Amino acid sequence: MQVSTNRFYETSGSLMQKLSQQADTLNTQIASTKKFAAPSDDVVAYQRLTTIKQADADATSYGANITLAQSLLDQSDTTLGSVESQLQRASELAVSANNGTLNDGDRQAIATELQGILTSVVALANTRDARGQALFGAATGNGGVVQAADGSMTFDGSGSPASIPVADGVSIQPTEGAARVFGGIPAAGGGTTDVFATLQGMVAALQNNDTAAISSASGDVTAALSQIGAMRGSLGARSANLDLQRNQATDAASARETTRSAIEDTDVTTAITQLQKTMTVLQATQASFTKLSSLSLFDYLK
Amino acid sequence: MSIGASGVRAYQTALTTVADNIANTGTAGYARRSTDMREIAAPGGITNNRDPNTGSGVLATGLSRSVDQFRTADVRSASADLARSETGIDWLGRVQSALTGNQLGDRLTGFFTSANAVAADPTATAPRSAMLESASAAAGAFAATGKALDNVAADLDGTADNAVSTLDALGAALARINDGLGRSAQGSGARANLLDQRDQLLEQMSAITDVNVTTDDIGRSTVRLGGATGPLFVAGNDAGNVTYVRGDSGAVSFAVHRSGSSTTFSPTGGALAGVVDAAARITSARDQLDRIASDFATGVNAVQAQGRDLDGNAGAAMFATGTAPTDLSLVLTDPRGIAAAGVGGGPRDNSNLVAFASLRSGGGFEASTTALVSDNAATLAARKQVAEAQGAIRDGAISARDAASGVNLDSEAVDLMRFQQAYSASSRVIQVARETLQSILDIR
Repeated sequence: MQVSTNRFYETSGSLMQKLSQQADTLNTQIASTKKFAAPSDDVVAYQRLTTIKQADADATSYGANITLAQSLLDQSDTTLGSVESQLQRASELAVSANNGTLNDGDRQAIATELQGILTSVVALANTRDARGQALFGAATGNGGVVQAADGSMTFDGSGSPASIPVADGVSIQPTEGAARVFGGIPAAGGGTTDVFATLQGMVAALQNNDTAAISSASGDVTAALSQIGAMRGSLGARSANLDLQRNQATDAASARETTRSAIEDTDVTTAITQLQKTMTVLQATQASFTKLSSLSLFDYLK
Repeated sequence: MSIGASGVRAYQTALTTVADNIANTGTAGYARRSTDMREIAAPGGITNNRDPNTGSGVLATGLSRSVDQFRTADVRSASADLARSETGIDWLGRVQSALTGNQLGDRLTGFFTSANAVAADPTATAPRSAMLESASAAAGAFAATGKALDNVAADLDGTADNAVSTLDALGAALARINDGLGRSAQGSGARANLLDQRDQLLEQMSAITDVNVTTDDIGRSTVRLGGATGPLFVAGNDAGNVTYVRGDSGAVSFAVHRSGSSTTFSPTGGALAGVVDAAARITSARDQLDRIASDFATGVNAVQAQGRDLDGNAGAAMFATGTAPTDLSLVLTDPRGIAAAGVGGGPRDNSNLVAFASLRSGGGFEASTTALVSDNAATLAARKQVAEAQGAIRDGAISARDAASGVNLDSEAVDLMRFQQAYSASSRVIQVARETLQSILDIR
């Protein structure tokens, strides 16, 4: 088949252009470390990468929530620990107050210390958390407990504090409402009481030297201690669950990263080898084009 | 002596033709020409007393173009197929940029994940403000993506109008060439030139739309658009006009107006067919985007309405829709207005935010956005593969055509030497004839 001179130049031109394009694509892949520049380069990869990107964004937002929930759980646990030691001390005081050998002065001293414990526990119940909110605040209301003018205590608001979402469909309630922590304690005399009323009752009983009341209050303090202990256990379990979520999230994130890298990262070794090959072919084409184009019968026409 | 003279004349013409071929090696659309030569037969008989066994020389009867009509037609149909795919690729690429340029999917993800931060701390203003910002970004991404698609559609209209007026100009030029062909002499250089131009015009036309061409004995072409049964576009000295219309539904149509009547046609090749494909793709992308936008706005506003804001009031609408469904704007400007709490939940409640999570999974906005992009991308990728094959087919067709009609300098050089020798030989014949005659005259 005869090749027209025009066609020879056009074909050589387009072939060399194609090779340059290939080299350019490979160069871009190496420089950007990404195999794909547009969704149409690989549709399946695009879909998977989009899913991975969404999961990454979710994981970032859940990660922040996990950190916050963890700090709230830790703070709740520490605060309840302090409450526990305060109540422990109250329990000891109740035992010593039950000792019949005490004089009025001794009882007054114990009452004063108990009053101090009460103030501390109220302060602990109204602790603020990292968000500036009452740590043991209910869903509604501003604080944990409110002290009325007559000294009586009420829980502020009602309902459980909001749970924090930590994974898709998983949320953890990092604190409890004051009513559930400090209230609802089964009283020795039947019904329920709360920590504050118990401590207040104990102070009053000491001041009146009411041994029966001191004894029953002592029982209530023990019940309160066991309730707070149980609460700490529950918070500990949530903390363990949160650790589990965090580990899962970390594992999932590294799995996603491995997948993402496998899908879109340029294999530099292969890319450079291919680039070298393309360049070699391009150089060879240029050399052969120069040879062929300098070949003309007219050169021999003298 | 006259035989020698005829040879000199004929080979001079042949040399001119070769020179013409060499000069036009790089001219697009030029078909190699050759000089037709015929022996001048001796009109032997009884009326004259010449020897009927001797010839009377050679005559250059005219030029002929080396063309293969079938290969030329092959190039036309291959060009039309390739132009359709390439136009499609071009526009699908622009649709792809329009759909991905504003990162709508990422903005939607950002909006829904920002709700998680509000859930962690419902009373704080910062996460609420951040959520409003991401809502604004999502609304902006919808609006910008919609605008980008509209721009692509407007550009497409402009390009189609251009293509149609180019087609009109080509048709008018072809009609003039038909006229010229009717008046040109068989075998003349002017005629060969007109035929070159005709083939070139037809090739340019077939890059715009698929043409059905029939040629008569003297080379005048009759062109129908959109296949053999399509409307007449060019017949004789008369060319029609092509119009482009985009309907309300976004579908496009083409019509030929010729001698007072107007007929629609559906291009199946060339850039116009690519325009039809692209218009359909743009319309469907626009529809899907509209649906995602209105579902998103309605869904978010409904979630807002069923919850309570930081002040315990029912949540106000977050998005307002403009003239187009994608023209979303953020109307909720107060961060306290985000309805994070359920009814009666109080300011520290975040139970309504769960509804955003279920809206996200139920509405599947991000998945729909990804599907929108990947549908388009899949078509684009397939077109690119088809275009690669069609490009190879077209290259093959052009090579085959050029093998017949292209100029090769080496063969022209051979011809040049051949005709030069023949010319020299003919002039030698004259010399010999003169010398022979002289020898008779010299007899004393």
